[in-house]
Amino acid sequence: MPETTSTIIAFVCNWCSYAGADQAGGLRLDYPVNIKLVRVMCSGRVDPQFVMDSFRKGADGVMILGCHPGDCHYRNGNIKAMKRSILLEQMLPTFGIDPKRFRLDWVAAGEAERFKEVVTEMSETIKNIGPLHLKGFVESEVA
Amino acid sequence: MAKPKIAFYWCASCGGCEEAIVDLAEQILPVVEAVDIVFWPCAMDFKTRDIEQMANGSIAVAFINGAVRTSEQEHMAKLMRQKSGLVVAFGSCAGLGGIPALANLTSRKKIFEASYHDCPSVFNPDGVEPKTEVVVDGHKLTLPTFYETVYKLDDVITVDYYLPGCPPTTDIIVNAINAILEGKLPPKGAVLSPDKSLCSSCKLNDTKPDQVCIGPIKRIIDIIADPEKCFLTQGLICMGPATRDGCGALCIQGNMPCTGCFGPTDSCRDQGGKMISSLGGILEGEDRDSLQKATKGLVDPSGTFYRYSMSASLLGSARKEGE
Amino acid sequence: MTVMQKKSLLFLCKCGANISNFVDLDRIADWASKAGHIDLAESHNLLCSPDGKKFFQETLKQKKPDTVVVAACSPKMHEKTFQELAESVDVNMSYIQMANIREHCAWVTQDKNEATIKSIELINAAAKRSFEAEPLKKMTMAVNTDMVVIGGGIAGIEAALSAAKADRKVYLVEKEISLGGAVIKTEDIAPSMECSPCLLAPRLSAVRNNPNITVITNAEVNEVKGFYGNFTVKIHKKARYVEESCIGCESCFEVCPVDVKSAFHLNMGTEKAVYTLFPGSVPAAAAIHKESCLHFVDNSCNACMEACPFGSINFNQKDEDIEVTAGAIIIATGFAAGDIAGIKNLKYGAIENVYTTSEFERMVCSNGPSKGELKLKNGEKPEKIAVIHCAGSMREDGLPYCSGICCVEAAKVGMLVRKQLPDVQIVNIYQELVFPNPRDFSFYKQQCEAGTHFLKSDNISSVLLSEEKERIRITALGIDPVEVDLVVLSTGLQPSESAKKLAEILNIDLEKDGFFKADHALLHATGASLDGIYIVGCAKGPVNVSDAVVTAHAAIGDALSKLVPGREIELEIMTACIDPDKCGGCKLCITVCPYKAISNNADKHISFVNEVICRGCGTCVAQCPSGAAKAKHFTDNQIYAEIGGLIYA
Repeated sequence: MPETTSTIIAFVCNWCSYAGADQAGGLRLDYPVNIKLVRVMCSGRVDPQFVMDSFRKGADGVMILGCHPGDCHYRNGNIKAMKRSILLEQMLPTFGIDPKRFRLDWVAAGEAERFKEVVTEMSETIKNIGPLHLKGFVESEVA
Repeated sequence: MAKPKIAFYWCASCGGCEEAIVDLAEQILPVVEAVDIVFWPCAMDFKTRDIEQMANGSIAVAFINGAVRTSEQEHMAKLMRQKSGLVVAFGSCAGLGGIPALANLTSRKKIFEASYHDCPSVFNPDGVEPKTEVVVDGHKLTLPTFYETVYKLDDVITVDYYLPGCPPTTDIIVNAINAILEGKLPPKGAVLSPDKSLCSSCKLNDTKPDQVCIGPIKRIIDIIADPEKCFLTQGLICMGPATRDGCGALCIQGNMPCTGCFGPTDSCRDQGGKMISSLGGILEGEDRDSLQKATKGLVDPSGTFYRYSMSASLLGSARKEGE
Repeated sequence: MTVMQKKSLLFLCKCGANISNFVDLDRIADWASKAGHIDLAESHNLLCSPDGKKFFQETLKQKKPDTVVVAACSPKMHEKTFQELAESVDVNMSYIQMANIREHCAWVTQDKNEATIKSIELINAAAKRSFEAEPLKKMTMAVNTDMVVIGGGIAGIEAALSAAKADRKVYLVEKEISLGGAVIKTEDIAPSMECSPCLLAPRLSAVRNNPNITVITNAEVNEVKGFYGNFTVKIHKKARYVEESCIGCESCFEVCPVDVKSAFHLNMGTEKAVYTLFPGSVPAAAAIHKESCLHFVDNSCNACMEACPFGSINFNQKDEDIEVTAGAIIIATGFAAGDIAGIKNLKYGAIENVYTTSEFERMVCSNGPSKGELKLKNGEKPEKIAVIHCAGSMREDGLPYCSGICCVEAAKVGMLVRKQLPDVQIVNIYQELVFPNPRDFSFYKQQCEAGTHFLKSDNISSVLLSEEKERIRITALGIDPVEVDLVVLSTGLQPSESAKKLAEILNIDLEKDGFFKADHALLHATGASLDGIYIVGCAKGPVNVSDAVVTAHAAIGDALSKLVPGREIELEIMTACIDPDKCGGCKLCITVCPYKAISNNADKHISFVNEVICRGCGTCVAQCPSGAAKAKHFTDNQIYAEIGGLIYA
């Protein structure tokens, strides 16, 4: 199936960032195809477990994109996402994961250009760091 | 009718789980009365061949504590599995990796470097490291392989039941043994402790307001904790919300926050990930700077949130290639 | 043990050439046929067309699939379309999963191979996610269609009248002893210069005569429970010591021996200890200042009681707590005049004959403290008057914003003065002029022509007042010093004193400036941040009378369209729920819920979601440390499956 390129999973909120990505499509803005979106209603829905699960399953980078602070469709879910990200960012390096592999950012519904910019930057970052190769241990050692 | 045979075995563990069985005190008497202990290397002299000679499935229940770090532990776990009807993962290490699995945050190479070279108390002028095979005076000597990763028991064998805790408390041990003797066991794979968080039985939960805000995060050494107030509201990390109930909130009664030894509930995939989600949600501060400040007192985040569940974690049970 | 492999029925939409030109649909079909978990329906040229919809329904009926993947455009475009089509043929909407192969694949790369591979990944993820779906159920709820209006100014009055006209019961709650708000304290409304009391009087009597409206004055809302369509509102009504039988005949005023500074006259005049705000007020009943009345002070006087021809004085009246239920709450709590006490340069309160615009207007009102006569403190007529625009506004130590409606009020000062003293010189000192509509601007031009001088300062914050031989000297950057007899400070509008407390009681948001925040500034400007609560008039920010009334009518229109007697309201489907068997009652979800939709049952040690209030953001689900909370249609399992599907295609 797909060739082995890096994979970036982006959790995007329904109201701002997913709409921003839709608009990027509408405007035919090209951006790296290794960005794969998972739509959630609010960035506040994103459980750090989802980020970890993505890394575990082979993602080389993970993003959470939400509404800009102050614009959250659900008042302040994006701020909750930020609070959780602070702890996650502190934890990732202890597992040997470069914290740059995780990025929280804001993209509004009208910000197609910004969406393209943010995900392209992330794709470049991951290209520079290289693949994560985080493999499940059972397969690799125990049989 | 012959008494059911039971066995105890320890893998990578501190011995606390064995101690917990001794701690049953007089409650152990009816147990001993009801069963035959056929294998318990920690307490009595048994050899591997004793168990190898038993018929497959002849042991009714094997209680195995400790994590799996070496090939010997894996071999013994598989042997016990073969000979036993039921295998119970006894304690946090067997269930979730426990304290030994914190080593998953580093590599075998680094562990060897520290243990055999760098540690100030080490005297090793020849730089000797343990090898799985050496020839001494023409005789081949072997040692078990020291794995790169610390596993929980069910990574190497099928486990029927789990008894959580570091160590499991007297009550849950007695309840489990009674359930086994009476044949009143839940479906296989179950953790023999309530599937709710510790807050559900913690007395301090009533002191927790509906709106909880934590920050700055403190360690237990930073303040004199108020024994009448939910630790989270005091800025202390209490793993209770993300930890299974059943211990009777023993640590909390001792004015210490929960450190999470009963592991997560069934619906939770990763205890530490879930805890940072919950803790993050109630952190004080609305911007990066103030949040950084609020979390400044959090040293060793992975050691705090995965103290007992590293082998069951999404990230700490995998390793980076080439390390 | 063999588990039957679930299969997802895949619809591929060509979207004309929009997808088929950029994505290799044949290759996707080939992949799907080998994948094992996908059944392929024929690709369709345009699935959202009438023909396509029919094809979708017919295929669903015929194949009865476990789940459905529609690989087409964005779910934001057509997810609802296909969910509803599925429901129409008895397939639960939860089993419909869209793969966005247009906006996220076909349109974002020139490379057809790449677009095709990404499409396969998205389709795989959608299929995997769909296998974890649990059926969704539409929920409706019966509603209370009555309304509570908080604030009895022009906006509140108009809101109440509109709702009452539609036969809704309205509880109109006012903190003063009678209705009228800010408008009743003015003489004329610029720019039309309509007489304020004449404008309000018929509306007040309409309120009084409307059996659907219950007016509750001298009262405050102090607790609100419930939610959209089902609020319970607790109102604390303070005793006024005069019964409703009072008709406001004022017989008691003559005999009352106590004079009290009148708040209605902004402390510039007096009223008796038994008082009404103005003749013809609604309700007509007077009230007694308990702290000044001699009956209460030392029990030495019963004069009013003796003079009352209707036996309406009741010194034993008690405060009352009233509980009402309603489906919607309209906040019309108005504004407070910008506080300029802290701005020393303006010498407000330190120099005589310096007034705010509200004070000035009260002074020249025919029902004002001096019956409308404009004079200086020494009794003489002024010869020259200055109006300072933006007093206390657009500065960090005052109001950091422009209220937008005060310039026209500032321009009005000259007109009001000339009405009685045509020869007085008027000078308006400003830095910025804001006349947001053509009528306001024409009014300003008229005032220029009528003799008001407008002087532009380089910085209005530099205005400094000083006393100069019984006159007032004004200096400011960019203008020559001016000496006048009287100064009017045009203050901005700030949130009413009650806004903060009310926002807490109702759990709704305020803007940074302290006014109530709209649900959506453009699309739902009169809706507060919680369903069923509306913000009208100056509660939502400074507006003129016309806009205050417009917002009141708009809010009621919206409320009437949503709360229809006999019709249930549709509730959010994808709410969160908490499994009582798993919940440990740790309460951490309560903290993060933006809508206070979660409560704790202390006896059972569990928390539960009120699904009527929940809007389905899922923040509590991420928060729940024991995995007891679940986001419908966005469950952990669905998301894990989607992640896996994206990576292992």
